[in-house]
Amino acid sequence: MTFSLNRLLAIAGKEWKDSVRNPQILLMAGMPIVFSILMKGQLSEGNAIDRFTVPVMIAIAVVGAFVQALMISEEKEKNTLRALMLSPASPVEVLLGKSAMTTVYTIAVMVVCMLITGIPAINIGYLIIYILFLLVIFMALGTSIGLISRTASETSIVGLPILLFFVFGPIFAPGLKVSFVMDVIGFIPSYHFMEGLSAVVHDEGREQIWLSLGNLLVWMVLSTLLVLFIYRGKRFDK
Amino acid sequence: MESIIEVNNLAKMYQNKQALNNLSFQVKKGEIFGFLGPSGSGKTTTVKILTSQLRYTSGRVTVLGAAPDRGRKANFLGRIGVLTDNSGLYDRLSVYDNLALFCRLYGVPESSLGGLLDTVNLSADRNTLVQQLSKGMKQRVTLVRAILHRPEILFLDEPTSALDPVNVLQIHETLRQLNRDGTTIFLTTHNMQEAEALCGRVAFLNNGEISALDTPLQLRLQHGDKTITVTTPKGPEIVGQDAAGANRINELIRSGALLAIHSNEPTLGDIFVKLTGRGLE
Ligand SMILES: Nc1ncnc2c1ncn2[C@@H]1O[C@H](COP(=O)(O)OP(=O)(O)O)[C@@H](O)[C@H]1O
Ligand SMILES: [Mg+2]
Repeated sequence: MTFSLNRLLAIAGKEWKDSVRNPQILLMAGMPIVFSILMKGQLSEGNAIDRFTVPVMIAIAVVGAFVQALMISEEKEKNTLRALMLSPASPVEVLLGKSAMTTVYTIAVMVVCMLITGIPAINIGYLIIYILFLLVIFMALGTSIGLISRTASETSIVGLPILLFFVFGPIFAPGLKVSFVMDVIGFIPSYHFMEGLSAVVHDEGREQIWLSLGNLLVWMVLSTLLVLFIYRGKRFDK
Repeated sequence: MESIIEVNNLAKMYQNKQALNNLSFQVKKGEIFGFLGPSGSGKTTTVKILTSQLRYTSGRVTVLGAAPDRGRKANFLGRIGVLTDNSGLYDRLSVYDNLALFCRLYGVPESSLGGLLDTVNLSADRNTLVQQLSKGMKQRVTLVRAILHRPEILFLDEPTSALDPVNVLQIHETLRQLNRDGTTIFLTTHNMQEAEALCGRVAFLNNGEISALDTPLQLRLQHGDKTITVTTPKGPEIVGQDAAGANRINELIRSGALLAIHSNEPTLGDIFVKLTGRGLE
């Protein structure tokens, strides 16, 4: 079976037309922007890099992951995913086509957030790589959550806590001083996103920078494989 | 004629519920083949298995020369069309945008949509959002989506159950035309008129088993009680298809007393009850 860019673009175009008529998605896309306005005042004396990374992480989690999960679980709930699966479109075409739209939204929202919070003095190359890696991981997690849950409301119940843990875990867990929680947090990609970028900004040596990038790379590969595995599993009804 | 679907000893268990049991039948290229059975008899299960949406427990299934649950299947999926009760549409897109998406996925030009929308009477609603359509209109959009790539086999699971009589007639005509153009049709229904109007051959499905399979005419002849009802000025009268009956009819015609004459084949519904002990509804 050959990959078809035309089919991928057809699905991406459908997502675009669908999303501009979906108030829920537009509302979600606005959330990180509101948040970064609030953050701007709150964290102005704190760590400059957190003031920047936290809104970016929220944009990736809410728009990249949660919106993606909502769109996919809605396709399941309304039985349109079945129609896509019964067409000649391959899993990769369907999943990339659906992700293209979310990627554009997330990047647009992140850019607005950055304009509000300001971009710290940082190596732009590292910044882009870290952001792209985290985006791929979260979109893959969002896609998995969407595929697993049967309805859009199940997505909120199952998915939101997981995503909130990923975003706020690394921010608040250190304050709890519970070693087990910190061990768990030490593995998750958002922790490495923050640690890695902080190391880049403060020039704290290559080690942390590469350790964090390696962690994100492993997450990226595993979460992508997870999505393909779940999607193929959904090919048959139970 | 060449078989396009072959099913041998097919069985399907859901957890511990037996939905299909020892099903065997063949569908020939070019025919309209019907599964007639009441709710819960296994119609949807069969369609899902034939269209690669459901695994089966045992038996052998061949559709277009290959097992539908094996291998990769873009090629297979491009050659079949499917309309089941789990075929959904995008509510926030127009009728046309819904269909244009699938034109691109199947690699067929959008120019064919105009004619198809005409045949199902939806031309005026091409720019209407799907969420504003009635159930029957949605069903016609899904039908167009199932046939826009001119599939070799079209699978229809109770295609007219949500429709009013005028639309049913129109859909039947669309299906006949499609069949004349070469599409083999596999259809399920619980409606005996539909089976009779469309199907070259019909299988009776009850509790996951086939209890009869033949042309509607053969079934009616085979299960009729071979009597004729004649109507005279005194009322209806039943005569046998034998010498005595022939004499009686002859006599009525000669005397000018014969007002009407009907052979008493049972309906498919009557035969279904006779064979399975239960009705179709
Ligand atoms: N997912 C399922 N899990 C368990 N039992 C099922 C499932 N789907 C269908 N069945 C059962 O299998 C039998 C056949 O169902 P189905 O194929 O839907 O019949 P029909 O389409 O003729 O109404 C019914 O008894 C139904 O309850
Ligand atoms: Mg059914």
